[in-house]
Amino acid sequence: MPIGNAEPSVRPVPPGRADGAAAGSAGSRRGGGSRSVRGGSRAERFAPYVLVAPAILIIVVLRLYPLLLGVNFSFTGDGERNGQTVGFDNYLELIEDPLFRTALGNVGLLVLLLPVAVAIPGLLATFIYLRVPGHRFYRSVYFFPAVLSPVIVGAIFNLLLAFDGPVNVLFEAAGISPVDWLGNPDVAMFVVVGVHIWATFGMALVVFLAGFATLDAALLDAARVDGASLAQVIRHVIIPGLSRTIAFVAVTTMVGMLTSMFGLLYVMTSGGPEGSTYLPEYYIWIQQGQMNRPALASAASTVLFVIMLVVGLLQVKLLRRAGGED
Amino acid sequence: MKQRALWSAVLVVGLATAGCGSASDTGPSSGGGNDKLVVWDWKSGEPSAKAYVEKAKADFSAKHPDVTVEFVAQPFDQYYTLLGGAIQSGKGPDVMLFNGGGQIRDRVDALVPLDEYVAEDKQRLAGWDAFSKDGKVYAGPVTLQGHPIYYNKALYEKAGLDPASPATTWDKFLADCAAIGKAGAKCFALGNKEGAGIQFWMSALGSGILTAQEYDDWIAGKRDWNSPNVKRIFELWKEAGDAGLNNDGANSTAMFNDSFALFQSAKAAHVIGLMSDVGHWKDFNEFLTPEKLGVMSAPVVTAGTTPSLAYDGGIGYGVAKWTKDPKVAADLVRSLTSTEALQAFYADAGAIAADTTIDVSQAGPAAATIVAALNSGKPALHVALSSKTLDLMGRVSQQLLSGSISVDEAVKQLAASDQAG
Repeated sequence: MPIGNAEPSVRPVPPGRADGAAAGSAGSRRGGGSRSVRGGSRAERFAPYVLVAPAILIIVVLRLYPLLLGVNFSFTGDGERNGQTVGFDNYLELIEDPLFRTALGNVGLLVLLLPVAVAIPGLLATFIYLRVPGHRFYRSVYFFPAVLSPVIVGAIFNLLLAFDGPVNVLFEAAGISPVDWLGNPDVAMFVVVGVHIWATFGMALVVFLAGFATLDAALLDAARVDGASLAQVIRHVIIPGLSRTIAFVAVTTMVGMLTSMFGLLYVMTSGGPEGSTYLPEYYIWIQQGQMNRPALASAASTVLFVIMLVVGLLQVKLLRRAGGED
Repeated sequence: MKQRALWSAVLVVGLATAGCGSASDTGPSSGGGNDKLVVWDWKSGEPSAKAYVEKAKADFSAKHPDVTVEFVAQPFDQYYTLLGGAIQSGKGPDVMLFNGGGQIRDRVDALVPLDEYVAEDKQRLAGWDAFSKDGKVYAGPVTLQGHPIYYNKALYEKAGLDPASPATTWDKFLADCAAIGKAGAKCFALGNKEGAGIQFWMSALGSGILTAQEYDDWIAGKRDWNSPNVKRIFELWKEAGDAGLNNDGANSTAMFNDSFALFQSAKAAHVIGLMSDVGHWKDFNEFLTPEKLGVMSAPVVTAGTTPSLAYDGGIGYGVAKWTKDPKVAADLVRSLTSTEALQAFYADAGAIAADTTIDVSQAGPAAATIVAALNSGKPALHVALSSKTLDLMGRVSQQLLSGSISVDEAVKQLAASDQAG
């Protein structure tokens, strides 16, 4: 979220300096400037704009302008209607396309699965922090998948989860009927999300461990002395102490799930079976690359952008509130 | 807060001005210079295409010694995305490779009609239809692509069947499949993960299901989705799945190349494969040996039909309309489809080349059977459908296999998509 990032980086500019500049120009306006006369004051007045101009230009030329072009393009037609204004036709087509609705539904599913994606690294980090036997070993093992590219992860799980693959062989040996992991539309999306969590939770785990480093060990000791159980320690000491870390992990995990599942989907399911694992990104790629519908793809991109904007702003708010709690 | 309001204002202004014009530039501009032609494809980077590219270049430089040719091999996964970008901007390669059918027909706006330049090649080469739209030719065919039914003669022997005379009717075919099943193999190796399995099914078996009239009408664009024979294509697909003729988990098996691997490792007796590129006679020859690989024609489902081989132009080179001199670019296309170049392509890359004068007797009985069937062959049924309908058909076919949709509903959806496009 470039917009979310832009704010904090602008804010830290010390207010003192802005005041100083204002005071300086006010002083020279009164004509009492001991340095040079008007030339200097003008230079000083324009200096901040000149200094921020490169950054603004980069954002406007490389981010906002293409964004506007894309939005603009989404109101034009494809194929024979290329270049013509078609109003909201593309958006109406999107709403009517069951495939795009599935894609949006899957975004909703990702949001619902977010607590799971946060809880897994959180719990595992807790165990590592509490020094379960072998915690050093687990720490490195858990992180390992995070260094693999999604394509490789997808290929590995394609082999494991094939209908005649090792997982189903184990199932059969245990007397359970085999599952068509990637061929059953009711299962496939959960499988892909599960693999995504497996592949990325290592990073969140490291963030949690960093959070634990700031946790006051005296509180834990006190809780233990008072006879708190493990569940009570987690509920009343660890979760409140880590609220900021949890919020941060929630935000980064959500962004990760919405923006970087393309590789996995592409390798593992190609959006199938029956179109059940489509996400907006994949839909955009199919429309632009396979169906030759760039304008429709632009419309879908615009919808995805708005969703990301809303999710991003909500999360920034969440982060701020979590930060303000203590 | 003010800042956010500002951003919102920017966005609103942007949305308000939206629709005032297209972001795409439809004006022409050139890719290569006067003395340079740029070719985009996904083949020239492969070692097996080296001899082909060299022969074509030599042929072209004999005609135009002052023009240099640059081949840019793009990754196939990204090819049409990249090409879409080039077409949108009106800049890009002078000559580009296309798959026949929907992929080129969707993009003819960006291409030069080649009829006046390739008139001499019309007889020598086959497969023009796949590169034509509204009576005009937009690319010169390099390979032919089609959907023969390959079978494993060793498995036929094991099942006590005569490998020299595969079934000619659907009932006999089902009986053969039952025998093969008893011998411990599946009847079909099917990969429908990408939804391409149904396309192969439709085209390979269609000539035994649709009457000759229905077939020709279908290709000509007059598709009667209410015809019981059209419905029969999808009924058979579902019945074959329900009867367990396919390998398990067909919906999660990738056609490229897991389903072909099943056939090559003799876990299934039949596969509907390709003629060129991958999953074809040359690949299968290597695993099953040429003597054990057979090609059969479609079993007759509807009495009175004459099965034929379904094939089209596979890949072919077209000329972009923004090229400086279309005549020179068309000459390059002619060099890329010259007999010598195509001979090299057939021999090294394992393709049935578009040039019907090439001798394939060295390639084994399967290739010989295919080439012999070219004369009576017809365009493949699925190639006539738009990419949108094909995409839908892929999903619907998965639903048919999993039983979450009825044949009637499937045909209804496809008819709506086909008639809308």
